[in-house]
Parts: sequence; C-alpha cells; structure tokens
Amino acid sequence: MSDKLIEIEDLTKVFYTDEVETHALSGIHLTISRGEYVAMSGPSGCGKSTLLSILGLLDTPTGGKYLLNNKPVENLSFSERSRIRNQEIGFIFQSFNLIGDLTVEENVELPLTYRAGMPSAERKKRVKEALERVNMAHRMRHYPAQLSGGQQQRVAVARALAGSPSILLADEPTGNLDSKNGEAVMHLLADLHREGSTICMVTHDPRFAKHAEREVHLFDGKVVSEQELQKLTAEVEA
Amino acid sequence: MQMIFQDLRYALRQLRKSPGFAATAIITLALGIGANTAIFTLVKGILLRSLPVTDPAQLYRIGDTDNCCVNGGFVGENGDFDIFSYDLYLHFKRSAPEFEQLAAVQAGQPRFAVRRGEARGKELRGEWVSGNYFSTLGLGAAMGRAFNESDDREGAPPVVVLSSRAWQNEFGADPSVIGSPISIQARPFTVIGVAPSGFFGDRVTDSPADFWMPLSTEPYLHDGATSYLHHADSHWLYPIGRVRPGTSIPALQAKLSVALRQFLFTREVYTRQGGDKLIPKQHVTVVPGGGGIQNLQQETGKGLKLLMILSSIVLLIACANIANLLLARSTARRAEIAVRMAMGAGRKRVIRQALTESILLSCMGGIAGLGVAYAGSRTILALAFPDAPNLPVSASPSLPVLLFAFGVSIVTGILFGLAPAWLALQAQPAEVLRGVNRATRDHSGVSQKVLVILQAALSVVLLAGAILMSRSLANLEQQNFGVQTGDRYVLHFDPEGAGYSVDRLQGLYRSIESRFSALPAVSHVALALYSPLEGDNWGDCALPQGHPVPAAGEQCNATWDRVTPQFLQSIGVPIERGRDLSEQDTATSQMVAIVNQTFVKRFYPNEDPIGKHFGINDPKYSGAFEIVGIFRDFKMNNPREPVRPVYLRPMAQQYQGFSAPYDGGEKASMFAGSILVSFRAPQENVEELLRRTLASVDPNLTVVGLQTFERQVNDNFVQDRLLARLTGLFGVLALVLASVGLYGVMSYFVARRTGEIGIRMALGATRTRVMGIVLQGAGWQLGLGLVIGVIGALLAGRLMASQLYGVSTYDPVALGGAALVLATFALAATLLPARRAASIEPMKALRTE
Repeated sequence: MSDKLIEIEDLTKVFYTDEVETHALSGIHLTISRGEYVAMSGPSGCGKSTLLSILGLLDTPTGGKYLLNNKPVENLSFSERSRIRNQEIGFIFQSFNLIGDLTVEENVELPLTYRAGMPSAERKKRVKEALERVNMAHRMRHYPAQLSGGQQQRVAVARALAGSPSILLADEPTGNLDSKNGEAVMHLLADLHREGSTICMVTHDPRFAKHAEREVHLFDGKVVSEQELQKLTAEVEA
Repeated sequence: MQMIFQDLRYALRQLRKSPGFAATAIITLALGIGANTAIFTLVKGILLRSLPVTDPAQLYRIGDTDNCCVNGGFVGENGDFDIFSYDLYLHFKRSAPEFEQLAAVQAGQPRFAVRRGEARGKELRGEWVSGNYFSTLGLGAAMGRAFNESDDREGAPPVVVLSSRAWQNEFGADPSVIGSPISIQARPFTVIGVAPSGFFGDRVTDSPADFWMPLSTEPYLHDGATSYLHHADSHWLYPIGRVRPGTSIPALQAKLSVALRQFLFTREVYTRQGGDKLIPKQHVTVVPGGGGIQNLQQETGKGLKLLMILSSIVLLIACANIANLLLARSTARRAEIAVRMAMGAGRKRVIRQALTESILLSCMGGIAGLGVAYAGSRTILALAFPDAPNLPVSASPSLPVLLFAFGVSIVTGILFGLAPAWLALQAQPAEVLRGVNRATRDHSGVSQKVLVILQAALSVVLLAGAILMSRSLANLEQQNFGVQTGDRYVLHFDPEGAGYSVDRLQGLYRSIESRFSALPAVSHVALALYSPLEGDNWGDCALPQGHPVPAAGEQCNATWDRVTPQFLQSIGVPIERGRDLSEQDTATSQMVAIVNQTFVKRFYPNEDPIGKHFGINDPKYSGAFEIVGIFRDFKMNNPREPVRPVYLRPMAQQYQGFSAPYDGGEKASMFAGSILVSFRAPQENVEELLRRTLASVDPNLTVVGLQTFERQVNDNFVQDRLLARLTGLFGVLALVLASVGLYGVMSYFVARRTGEIGIRMALGATRTRVMGIVLQGAGWQLGLGLVIGVIGALLAGRLMASQLYGVSTYDPVALGGAALVLATFALAATLLPARRAASIEPMKALRTE
C-alpha cells in the first residue's frame, strides 16, 4: 500500500459568475503522505481555502485528478462524498462551527451518528476519549456558548478526531483565537501529529505555519516556492 | 407623543422595507380579524340587538323562550310557562302593578291575504298585539297614528298600523293609504298609521311583521268559533312590559308565578286527573325584554356562539402565524436591536418599538379585515336566510362592530407582538455584537416551536369540527325521510284569505284537483292542511276508544293532517295494511283515519288497529274516527327527531261532534294550505305552469309559496348547511394558515441553520439525513400538536353536541381525518424547505456561517 494519502494532479477550480470567470486554482500538483503535517499558506484570496474544501470533498474541482487513499474522488456522487467525509476526513474550522443547540458531548458525537451501525456505547467511548485528548471531558454537558473561544476550538478538534479520520483538515484554526489560545491549539495539533495524525492546515500566519513539517505556498491559485512567494508578494505590495 | 410618532414612522419604514412580509401578515390578519368581525356583526345584529324603541332596558318579558304558536295544557317537566292565553295576560296585568304598562303580542306572525281596492291580493305577515303595544314600546307613528287601548275594545272599528317597510314596498309609499280601507282575509280594515322607520316589531326575525292589528280583531278574522282570544286555555300570547324603576325582578317573578298558579287552579283542564298536584311546580321567568321576543336568537344562538368560538380559533392561529413571522424577523434583527441597546435604548423603548410595529400591523390587518367582514357577513346572511329579504340585520359595519374590530386588532397586535417583544428583551448587546464566531443558542426557537404546536393543535380542533359538522349534515340530508321528492312540487296557498268559507271549500278542492290533474305528465295531485317537512304541523292528544282521560304527563301527542285521497301517492308513501283514504270518504260517510306505524306502536302495541276507533283530547270524542289503514312511517315534522305518531284524515270529513274549543280547530283545519303535485317525468317551466293553473281556478287565490318538494325538505337544513360550510371554511382557513405557518417556520429553520446544515454535511450527513433533520424537526412539533389537538377536539366536540345529528362527538373518522389532513398538509409544507436544505452545497453553507 502506498504511503501517499492525497495525490493531486493538475487540479483546477473555476468559479463562473454572470460574465466573469475566476480561476481560483490553476494546475495544482500536490501530494500529502500519511503522517505528514502540511501547512498551506499564502495571501488572502490565493485559493488556499478553496483547495482545502476540495481536499475535504466539500467542493468539486473543475478539472484535474484527485486520489484519496489511491482512489479517485473527483467525480463521486454526493452521498459517496458524504460517506468519505464522514469516515476519512476530520474538519477543524476557523469559526469552530459547533452547533449551538447541542452540548459539547453531542457535538463531538455528531459525525459518529452519521455512521451506520456504530453502537451507542462505542460512540460514547470515542467521544469521551476524544474530549479527554483535548482536555475538555469536564465540559461534556456544557453548551458551546458557555465556553471560551479556545475551549470551543478544542471541542471542534475533538469532534474532528472522534471519527479517527485519515486526515485532519484545519482551516485557519487559530484565526478567531487570541495568541495564547492560538498557541495552545497549535500545540494540540503538533501533539496529534506526533501521535500519528496526518494534518493539512491552512494558515496565513507564518508563525503557525512553522509548526508544520512542510509548507505549501499558494499565490493566485498556483503552488509556488517560498522565494517566488516573497517576490510576488513584494511586487504586489510595491 | 413625539416618541410614539417616531416609533410609528420607524414601524412603517420597516414594513415598507419588507413588502412581502407586510402583505402576508396583513392578509393573514385580515382573514382572522375579518372572520371574527363578520361573525360579530351577526352576533351584534341578532343576539346583542336591542329593539329600536324607547329605553329598551326598561322592558321585561314574562317567559323566556319562543314557544310558537298555540299551546294548551302543561308545558313539560320544568313547569316553565312562556306563552299565555288572553285571560291569563289580563290576570297578570291586574296582578302586577309593577309594570307601568304590560302589552301582549301574538306568538306567531301568520301570513294574511291583504288587498287594497281592486289590486291583486298580497300575502303579508301580520301580528295581533294589545292596544297598548305602541305606548308600551314608547313609539308613536311616523304617519297617521298608532292604535291605542280604545282601538282594542270589543266592537271597535277594525284598524291596522303598517310597518314603514311594508308601506314603502307593498303600498308604494302612498300617503293616501292612511285612513283608507284595505281588506285582510277579505275583511275590511282601516289603515290608521305607519310605524316609525326602522321599527321592525317586537322581535328580530327573518320575516318581520308587515302590519299590526289590535287583539280585539282576532275573532273578527277567525270567524268567532276558531278564535283563541276568549279561550282561556289556548295560549298564544307573549306579554312584554315596561317595569317601574326600582322594581325587584326576582320578587316580580315570584309574584307572577303565584298569579299563574292561582289562574291554573281555576281551570278544569289543569286540575283534572291529578293535574292539581303539578300546578305548584308551574312558574314563569321574567327576563329582560329589550332584545324583544327571542326568536332568531333562539334559533341561531347556539350556532352563532359556536361560530364565534371557531372564528376566535382562526384568529389565534393567525396570531401564532404572525408571531412566528415576527419572531423570525426579530431574530434576524437582533444585531440591530443590540446596536440600539448599545447606544442607550432602554428595554422599555425596545419593547414599545416591537409592540408598535405589531399593533400597527394588526390595525392595518383590521382595516382590511373590515372589508372581509362586510363581504363575509353579507354572504353568511344570504346563505343563512336565503328567502328573507326583510331580515332586519345589516351586514354594514356599525359603530359597535367598528369598535369590536378595532379592539380585536389591538388585542391581536399585543398578542402576537408579545413573543418578539419578549425576544427583544433577551437581546444582549455584548453577545450579539461579538459577531458570528461564537455559537449561540436561539432563544426564538422554543417560542416558535410552541407556536407551531399551538397552530397544529388548534387546526386539528377546527378540522375535526368541520368534519363533524359535514358528517352531521350528510346524515341529516341523506337520512331516509320515508318520502320521495323527485319531480314533485309543493304549492302553498290560502283559500281563507281569498274569501272562501268552509261550505265552498270542497268544490274548490275538486276544481283544483281536476285542473292540476289535467296538466301534462302529472301523476298525482293532493291537497293537505300541511305538507311534510314544511316546518308547521298540528298536534293533538290521541285517545283510543275506551281510554280514560290521560294522566298528567302521559304521552298521548300525535301529529295529524287533513289530506285528499292521493296524498300518500303524491309523496311516494305506501300503505302497509288496510286501505288508503278514498273518494268514498265523504262528509256523510263514517269518519275515518289512516295511521302510521309509529302510531300503531304507541297506541295499539299488541293489537290490530284496523277497525278500531280513536279520538282526541277528551274520552267523549274517543270513538270519533275509525282506523281503516296503516301507512309506512315518514318524517312529517322535525327531521332531526324520530318519527312521531301521525294520523291522516280526509279533507272532505268535518267531525260535527266536537264542542268548544275543539269545534273551532276542526273548522279551521278544513282550510287546505298546500297542493302537492307529482309528475311522471321532469318538466320544464313547472312553476309558471302551476301558478297559471291555480289562477285559472280562481284569480283571487294567491300563491304563498311554491317550490320543489326536494327544496322544501332541504330547507330544513339551511342553518345546518351554513354551520357546516362556515365550520368547513374556518377549517380550511386554519389548515392553510397552519401550513403556511409551518412552511414559514421550517423555511426560517432552514435559512437560519444553513450553517449548521453545512457543518453536518461537512461531517458526513447525506442529503436524505439532512431532509430527515428538517422533517424530524417539524415532525415532533406536529405530532405533539396533533395529540393536543385531538384532546382539544374531544373537548370541543362536547360544545358541538347539540348541533350534531347521527355522529358522536368522539367520532374516529373526524378525529383521524383531521389529524391525517393536517399531517398531509404539514408534510407538504415541510417538504419544500427540507428539499431546499438537502440541496444546500456544504461549502456555500459554511461560507454563510
């Protein structure tokens, strides 16, 4: 079995509006191996969140190939994509995206409830373990509104972990947190990586990108080297 | 004040900004407030109406129900007398000086043939009233003069006062009619005045009196022997009077009850056969008479009260709808409220702003509702009283109706504005201004769910009510009346009014039979005193030969009719045993009768009645009629009641053995009131043909009424039909409002939870599961609403019990049907938002989050 978890070749994404055609991603080639911690960075509007949403099967590419676990996933049906998202991918969002009407426990349990046949006891066990892993087990009965931003993000991480996904996709996980909580979340992700998790994180903050093993830089929908990125950014700023 | 205007201006701006919301809310409110105002217009016009007389609050009536038209004997178990003889009225007048004036009015308002000069006769409604009638009511005449006590003396010249409406419509508003003679039932009267415009008499009825005559003229028109005026035991009058200020009504009632018992003890008909033991239980009730004789009130009261309740439920559903819409809006406007609060707006100010908007909305709905109410009450009046052009109830909104609509609008506005106002109270500026990055709980959710549950429950109540009423109506209409109605016509006429005396009647009847029988395709022609199910009938106490005087309270009543030989054939009723009446049953042959099966069961339970004799009221007459045949049961009287004992006597036979007072009734019964014509096949222009045929017999014979037999039978259910239609309409309205409400709430649910749906999808929820979430959200609210609604419907069914026929208040079809219909509509209303939710692209949804 190959060590490559994600393989992308010549991936494109074009958004069409009435008269405008916007090329969000143009010819992206990317490979992420199992156990790797990748940071995707770049200026605002460079296409990193679009790429992440395609990686997470939340969106479909306009062109190119996308292999997840050696299987092509770019043309799957909605329900098939739902199943893969549920079993293979764990999401961590910038704005946490916890459901306000559910308790912490129920939020973490949520993706597991979408898995047919998982007994309730097994779900509860996994939820407990995930929450213990992020040190939030003591807040199981709380509602998200009763937690601080950092605590909410830790719950979101627990939710992503509970399903034992192949990869964690984090979209600006520190974007809505203060620096202290931001650091704490980054340490948590680093711990998870050390424990074997594959992580792909989008961030525009170079401090946090340094936590990853590898950085992928994007500019105007293309993967560029760090030097190219600096040059292009300087040109734009000039 | 300035702040109120500021709030109003802002509220108007808000409504202008959301024209779709404003239009939906105003239409919903217009329907709810309009339905209530329409019913209130009728309640005000019928139940709460005062007579247009001087100081109606001072009027009191002796007796509390309408027991039209002529009664005798004890009144039933409760001993509550409502209708009185002339002698008893005079006895009350003497016994109770507490009445400044006490008038008597006739219980019925019969039709009379009225003619002026050589003009063709008209059938107008008249009423005998005491000479002090107009002075008791505090009325003069608009033209000429009203009659007084001297006009009511025996031997006084017969006079009549016309109603203003009759003067205009029937006499062309001709002033010269005052002082001129007119003929009533072919007897001369002098018109002495016209009553004030707007005065419709002493009762709200669908056919008010066209003229009033003094009581003393009753024997004049009734040929003495058939008169009730001087029969102390024939009760046909309602006393109504003006009570002196300060009079204790309970004391007056007790005093009049004593007077009643004193009078009854003097009458042999009440004391015989142990009747004297029942007299102490007899009493009268003195009730406010400002609303007049409770005729229409009694007929329609229960139905109107029921409709008032049902329309209130519709309004409640409408309120719940608007409250839900406002909740959705105010949730969306939480940020705005938070900004206002951050800028120093107090909670009171925020609540006032919310209530100003809702009250403004409800007032706009109320104004639109007035239009709905006017159209609605006009339609209801037309449906409820299809043949009553003179009904003194107007659909135009009066001041009390306008005040009602305004009051309902304000209350409605506060009612549906409370929830959003409460929600505004919950707004925490800090929390809202923190933005969307934190998960917050939706405070409006619980209120909205409660409102949806309330809507569903109320809708089930209304739908179950509608199904109950329609099933009841179907049972009424489709019951086996025992008669055939197809291709049959009933023509009502009045030979007495055309001047016929008893001795000329048989010749007239033969002519009528002969002329009508000669018409093409006619199969049978019959004349009858009353036709089946026309609403009128004659009852007497039937006594088999040898039966002693009936004990007090003994069931001996039987309905009877006088008919010509083809009567049963003309209504399709077969003879079961013996023979039918025939041409051989003449004035000089043996007095005979045929009886129905129920009559046999009641009076001859284990005997063969053929050849047996019976009579009426007194054992001395019990050998009067020989039973020669038994006919199959059919509904002659009230179609809601079981078939009563009925016997039919030949039109040609007048029993000469009766003495007063029964001889008068026997004579009066010789005047046929109906001609029944059956055709072998459907015919065209039958009504014109029948009118022409009657006129060819005698042009003076006026047609009082002409309709198909089917229509006559169906007319018994006009009120039921109206009630069923309106209940059905309210049910549909409730269903639509509840469905729209549920759709709105679920759409809002989906819109508000787009982000959540996106999260769920990102976490692996399939489209089916997302649809399931939405359907589940609606499902439990709906389920709870259905359970509460079914319990509510069971309780509401009790209120409707008296209006139902052949269907129980816990009818499973009605309850199950209501729940099923609502569930189906609710599912349809939820499916659209659910599909919308399922089609959300998770990426887009997450972007909105």
